[in-house]
Amino acid sequence: MIATAFKKRNQRRLRKLNDDVLRLTSQDCSQVNFNMAVFSYVLSKIVSKPRYLSVECGSAIKAMEKVLDRIVNRMDSATDEELLGLFDELEKSIGGLEQMDARFVTDLVTKGKMKMAATFYAQGISLGVSAEMTGLQKQEILEYAGETMMFDRLKEEKSIDERMKVARKLLTG
Amino acid sequence: MVREVLCDSGSLISLTSSCLDNALYFFAENAGLKFVIPPSVEYETVKRPMEGNIRKHLFSAIRIKDAIEDGVVVVVDAKVENEGKRIMDSANNMFYIKGKPIRLIQFGESEMLALAHELGVGTILLDERTARLLIEAPFRLKEHLEKEFNVNVMVNKNAYRELASRISSLSVIRSSELIMLAYEKGYFRNFVNLQEEALEAALYKMKFAGCAISFDEISQYMYKVG
Repeated sequence: MIATAFKKRNQRRLRKLNDDVLRLTSQDCSQVNFNMAVFSYVLSKIVSKPRYLSVECGSAIKAMEKVLDRIVNRMDSATDEELLGLFDELEKSIGGLEQMDARFVTDLVTKGKMKMAATFYAQGISLGVSAEMTGLQKQEILEYAGETMMFDRLKEEKSIDERMKVARKLLTG
Repeated sequence: MVREVLCDSGSLISLTSSCLDNALYFFAENAGLKFVIPPSVEYETVKRPMEGNIRKHLFSAIRIKDAIEDGVVVVVDAKVENEGKRIMDSANNMFYIKGKPIRLIQFGESEMLALAHELGVGTILLDERTARLLIEAPFRLKEHLEKEFNVNVMVNKNAYRELASRISSLSVIRSSELIMLAYEKGYFRNFVNLQEEALEAALYKMKFAGCAISFDEISQYMYKVG
């Protein structure tokens, strides 16, 4: 479904698929599902940028589509290890596309991983598990999370007054 | 009297990313606090960025390393593997979605909680939200998971009791409270007429660096201060 949506350049569908796979990944912590979540997000970003869909990028896009086809063909029978290897190839081909018109220090796949990790953390999975699943530094996830409203969406059990009372007593008592 | 405060990696990162790590020195000098970290936190915050030459995080790593060399942050090792594993297993078997346990925390996080238990340290400087909720309000975390995943979350009561018996007595302070308290003790005095503004700006900086504090909490505290 992800490959089809990409070939149809359907960004909305890719984002919907990303939401679905991400929800599944948070619950089962599977690396294959995690990669599907990351790449569905990355592919949706590629589809949304006209510069990646220009004629000059045609060969790089074709290379990506070939890897995507191989992933689709092997999805039911391959081991997780083989699939993860194919996702590595997809990452390399996306890197090839980005190199044609490099604009950011952080590459698309890392950005995708950051978003996924911050989403896991926002959902209630710890920072450590989110970092472990994505292979990212906690600091990167914290920076991304800090730019979101995740800490405003969950009402704290204790008020700031109560917290300060405890802090005063414990730290300077 | 020296009082020990166990720190998680997130709180040290929030402080160094916001250039507020001098508050650790301030409390060490003025309140006799000793900031303790397990080797796993040193690895995450210092060794990994430095050995991996992760440029974006090198300066934070160097600042923490400096605080360790100055004795303000102390690395303490203790054999807490079994206790850490017990805490991790309880936490990761406490909530179930569709019959499957949700993996909430990893060993590094449970190791820190176990170390607090082992060292008899009652205060943790902890910015990481999930572990904090597990200590302070596990059922708030359950409600949050239900809302996020739009499903019922089942509670394994044995795991809950096991976890609560080990960690519920811990007191948690976020790095934001440390800075608020530092303000109350004169840490921002050099800003003279801009002390309140400096505090507010510092709290926002920490929030944007990933400290789990809400805009409302910052506003409420600033209202009290102002």
